[in-house]
Amino acid sequence: MHIKDSKKDQATIVMIEGRLDSSNSGMLEKKITALLEAGETNFLFDFTAMDYISSAGLRVLLMAAKKSKANGGRVVLSALTENVKEVFDIAGFSSIFPIFATPGEALGSF
Amino acid sequence: MEFRLKNDLAEIQLLAEAVEVFGEENGLPPKVVFQVNLALEELLTNTINYGYPQGGENELTVKLELKNGKDLIVEIRDDAFPFNPLEIEPPDTGQDIEARSIGGLGIHLVRQMMDEIEYCWENDHNVLVMRKHIKLA
Repeated sequence: MHIKDSKKDQATIVMIEGRLDSSNSGMLEKKITALLEAGETNFLFDFTAMDYISSAGLRVLLMAAKKSKANGGRVVLSALTENVKEVFDIAGFSSIFPIFATPGEALGSF
Repeated sequence: MEFRLKNDLAEIQLLAEAVEVFGEENGLPPKVVFQVNLALEELLTNTINYGYPQGGENELTVKLELKNGKDLIVEIRDDAFPFNPLEIEPPDTGQDIEARSIGGLGIHLVRQMMDEIEYCWENDHNVLVMRKHIKLA
C-alpha cells in the first residue's frame, strides 16, 4: 500500500494505492492522526487506485470521520472500485460516508 | 491448495497472492477471489491478534479446494485459543457515524460473502470451513 496526501483549499486529499489491510492499516491511522493533530478537518479519501479494503481499513476511516466531525469537518470518499463498494455496502458504510464518482466531484462538495 | 503461514499479519498478503494464483488456475471469477481473500484476512487477523496470548511462533493452515467445478471449500485450521467466531454478535449497520462501532464488522463481512460457514474444535484445533458456490459465466 502507498499513501499520498496533498492539501487543497477545501480539504486534504488522501490517496491510497493498492491493498489496505490489517498489516498496514496502522500506517494510515498514524498518518490521519498526525493530520488531525496538525489541524486538518476536511478529508477526501480517493480510492481510484485502491483495490482492496477489509474491516481494519474501515476502522481507520470510521475513526477519521468521528474525529473530523467532532472538529467541525467531514470525510468524503471518491472513486470506489466495484469490490470495495461491495464491502462498504455490506458494512453499512455507504450510508454514513458521502461517496462521489470522481475526486473532482468530491472536492466540489466542500 | 494448502498454504501454511506463521502468526504474523504480514503473511496474509502472501496467502492472498497464492489464492489469486489458485483462482487463475481454476478459472474462478475475480470477485470470488476478492471475497475469499477478505474472509481469510478477517478470520486470520482475529486469530493472529487474539488467539495466541502466550506469544511465540505458531503455524496456521489454509486449504482451498474446488469441488465439481462449482463448490469452493476454504478451511482454516489453527491451534490458537479455542474460539468460535460465529458466536460474535452481528453489528448494527444502520447507526450513524457517532454511534457506529467496528466490533463484529469483520465476521459480518465474512458471513455475507460466504454461503456456508461451520466451526468445530477438533483434536485441539480450531477448524473453520467455509463454502462458496461458484456461478460460472
